[in-house]
Amino acid sequence: MKKTTPLQYIMIYSLLLVAVAWSIYPILRVITISIRPGDNLLNESLALIPDDWTFDNYVTIFTDHPLGTWIWNSILVTVTVVITGVALASTAGYALSRFRFPGREASLLSLLVTQMFPATMLLLPLFIMLSNLHLINTYLGLIVIYSSTALPFCVWQMKGYYDTIPYSLEEAARIDGASRFMAFYKIILPLASPALVITALFSFMSAWTEYIVAAQVLWYEEMFTLPIGLKSFQANMTTEWGLYAAGAMIVSIPAIALFLFLTKYLIGGLTLGSVKG
Amino acid sequence: MRSGTPKISPIKTVFEDVLILFLLLFSFTSLLGVEKTTLHLWHPMPAPSRAVLNELVAEYELSHPDISVQLLYKENEEVRMAYMSATAFTKGGPDMLYGPSDFTGALVEMDIVKPLENLFTEDELAAFDPKGLTWYNDHLYQIGDELGNHLALVYNKRLFAEVGLDRPPETLQELVEFGKKLTIDKDGDGIIDQYGLVWNFTEPFFFMPFYASFGGWVMDADQNPTLDNEAAVKAFKFVRDLRDVHGIIPKECDYDIADSKFNTGTAAMLINGAWSWAKYMESPYVDFGLAVLPINEETGLYPAPMIATKGYYLNPYLEGERLDQVVELIKFLTGPEAQFRYASRLATIPTLLEVRERPEIINNPIIQTSIEQVKHGNAMPISPQMRAIWDAMRPAYQNVLGGSMSPEEGAAYQQQLAEQKVAELFEGQDVDPDAFNVSALLVYLAGVLLMIWAIYKLVVFFVQPLIRGVPGVQVKESRFGVLMVAPAALFIFGVVVYPFFYNLVISFSNMGLTTVNDWRIIGLAQYGKVITDTQFYHFFIKTIIWTVVNVSLHVIIGVMLAMLLNHPLPGKGIIRVLLILPWAVPSYITALTWRGMFNIDYGAVNIILKTVFGLEPISWLIDPTNAFIAAIITNVWLGIPFMMIIALGGLQAIPQELYEAAAIDGASPWQQFKKITLPLMKPVMIPAITLGIVWTFNNINVVWLVSNGGQPGDQTHILVSFVYRAAFNLYRYGYAAAFSFMIFLMLAFFSIKFMQKTKATETAY
Repeated sequence: MKKTTPLQYIMIYSLLLVAVAWSIYPILRVITISIRPGDNLLNESLALIPDDWTFDNYVTIFTDHPLGTWIWNSILVTVTVVITGVALASTAGYALSRFRFPGREASLLSLLVTQMFPATMLLLPLFIMLSNLHLINTYLGLIVIYSSTALPFCVWQMKGYYDTIPYSLEEAARIDGASRFMAFYKIILPLASPALVITALFSFMSAWTEYIVAAQVLWYEEMFTLPIGLKSFQANMTTEWGLYAAGAMIVSIPAIALFLFLTKYLIGGLTLGSVKG
Repeated sequence: MRSGTPKISPIKTVFEDVLILFLLLFSFTSLLGVEKTTLHLWHPMPAPSRAVLNELVAEYELSHPDISVQLLYKENEEVRMAYMSATAFTKGGPDMLYGPSDFTGALVEMDIVKPLENLFTEDELAAFDPKGLTWYNDHLYQIGDELGNHLALVYNKRLFAEVGLDRPPETLQELVEFGKKLTIDKDGDGIIDQYGLVWNFTEPFFFMPFYASFGGWVMDADQNPTLDNEAAVKAFKFVRDLRDVHGIIPKECDYDIADSKFNTGTAAMLINGAWSWAKYMESPYVDFGLAVLPINEETGLYPAPMIATKGYYLNPYLEGERLDQVVELIKFLTGPEAQFRYASRLATIPTLLEVRERPEIINNPIIQTSIEQVKHGNAMPISPQMRAIWDAMRPAYQNVLGGSMSPEEGAAYQQQLAEQKVAELFEGQDVDPDAFNVSALLVYLAGVLLMIWAIYKLVVFFVQPLIRGVPGVQVKESRFGVLMVAPAALFIFGVVVYPFFYNLVISFSNMGLTTVNDWRIIGLAQYGKVITDTQFYHFFIKTIIWTVVNVSLHVIIGVMLAMLLNHPLPGKGIIRVLLILPWAVPSYITALTWRGMFNIDYGAVNIILKTVFGLEPISWLIDPTNAFIAAIITNVWLGIPFMMIIALGGLQAIPQELYEAAAIDGASPWQQFKKITLPLMKPVMIPAITLGIVWTFNNINVVWLVSNGGQPGDQTHILVSFVYRAAFNLYRYGYAAAFSFMIFLMLAFFSIKFMQKTKATETAY
């Protein structure tokens, strides 16, 4: 790309600064609520750090609630979902991008169709199904549902990315004697790392913050995942806002850490010199 | 199954053995391996009462080593819905449900609650205040441990003293007078710093006492709504005048605003329920005082809050030894020691008369005021009609407050709406089971034909080519392809197939409140109701606007930011993560924060508009159009990071050489963007945009949270939130299924059109 002039730098930075301000202000408000004493959602003060700030909410949430257990449960569920998502989406997306087989177009379309069911259509029958399959109070039920929520997008996303990688790369590998699977695994998959990152992030987020299904499936407080644990601070008219906000920040920290870690690969994954457009 | 598993009557299946294996692997309870009976209790108790309940249960478990009690907290509405799903639809559910008496009617109509009169002796029942026992159709269904949920006047003695007042108001006239004295603009900047009175006045439950003080009541002896009368008009005017004429309440005030203002000492009086008082007693800004709602001197009537009994319901499938164990536990939890502890710690009103006579209770001024208030109150109706009436009052009342209806129109409207909703509540029960129904027959026939067709297609186009091969299809490649797709496909379709067909079947049925267990296929009637409802079209248009505006802004801003970030910039990593944050923080809290930021007086949005741009404050949440815009702004904020990430990924797939070559050929940046960036990003962006459209179309959460469930006046809805509000709230399962299916059909139509236009299934190279 051509050289960026100082004037362009100033413009880019000022645009990004506005975007950053708009992006983080509401989150700073959540932090404000979490360090405010008492349980007030609203406050007339616009100060981001209240005069009487305190970390009490964070202390309470760890001492009075089995937060460690909830975090561990969430990690267990989420990691399984991410692994399932990445493994299944990278393979299915590849096949949908590269092979012409009966049912290809139909699968692509019907993957999309599964995303169109409004929540009002799924909640009750999903519960009935899980209950009849004895999957209530198991993580298996949750993992299956979360994976299936995240997969359609991930498959599509992977497929779209593979589409941008020229066929010639695999053909070269096949001529060198690699099997079909090896060509995929050794050549194409590494090139698709930005899409893999997106798949992982997306699977992670769909499992990590979900609470509606989890609230239906898990009946034991020791089994809770972090978001339902968090929801237990929210009550009709008696929400413990301070705890709720503190909990939300705790939920966010692993997500932010993962974003920090993965976005590096989102950018650096390609050696595009080898790719001819 | 082990004794610890919660299902009471497991359905035997052929796969039982396999499933038990899974169960052993995954079920937490079986890992404990202790031979105890686990009793499940679901409850909506807020944190302070939850603490007492935890203590009581722990003590009970100590003295009953064979019993383990599992408590599960859910919010009021959620606990009711979850209990209904579990008992009515799977014959399972917890052993006990704790909740307010207004659950009773619906639970009885659905046949999912156990009559209790034979499980207690006459002496045991005689010890209760009759109000503490909930009877319905001559059966006892609920044993109460508390009379509660009533509103009363909470006031801050310190703020009263500051203006020289030493007692709470005794008449509504005084309420206004005192309120004026206590409404203060301290720094003279035109913004009120302290309000005389705050409360969640836009919610009908909080309006009810005033309606009653003008002589109104919600229903007649036959449970028919009685909302169009002089009392309703006067009460509407009264509340509106408090705001517009006397100016003693904020223009905009929901529960949390009222609660925060009073709790931080910036409002002198608050009307709030028994559940909330404990919090204010502990607040450093509040010198707590409690008073009976002041008398209406015009009618001589006291404002009458609704009073609900809170207590225990039992699962109808309980029997044998387990039932005895549950009853014993209930007797303990509603017993004198338990009630005494609740009362002395939380100032609740015990239902056992003996406990009410104890000196600690008699000498507790808060409980005594509370009892006094309850004497002026009305028992909350327990029939299911009440829910229809609430749902009818809310939009009418909010329209009056919002100025789009006069009080007279509002009263007429709420009556008409209530009658309609009561009819909807009981729809379907008049279907004659023996009548010959052509439409139903056609539905059955179409279903069978469709299945035969689907199987035929599957064989011809899928199975056959894979096994035998057909011209134009490479068998080996195909098998490899299918093998790679199969695991993902099985996962996805395994989960959605059953819900899809279940919903489809129910949409042809009359399933509703009274027909949960004996519904039948009635044909296309529910679809007829959906497409003849003008609101369906109204919200359809709103949904289209919602989707188009949201997705366009997500994509435009997302791609723009991604392209900016694609420059080699110092500090890029940090900026990138800061921009992604709205995706990383759970939306159920950020959406609520946005709601707070849209507050008319104190929200950040209006303050910025005023100080930076010098604009007049905008009433974001009171005006229906503005409320919708507020929801859109929130959702745009939430959705940008996702599109930005996808676009960043997409930009990586574009070889730099292309730009270099284009630059050498003298292409302008805009030409480069149009000819290189856009076409090469397309394969990555189109799936994201398509799915973005789909998700946005059905995004119930953001609209719901920002508009607090559709406020004002149930107008801030998109289709999916509307069906949730209008259908599920009134248990119209058949109608909701048909409505949901229509949403699905329309969405499928639009997105498939979109995909064909953008050729999303084709490749770039």
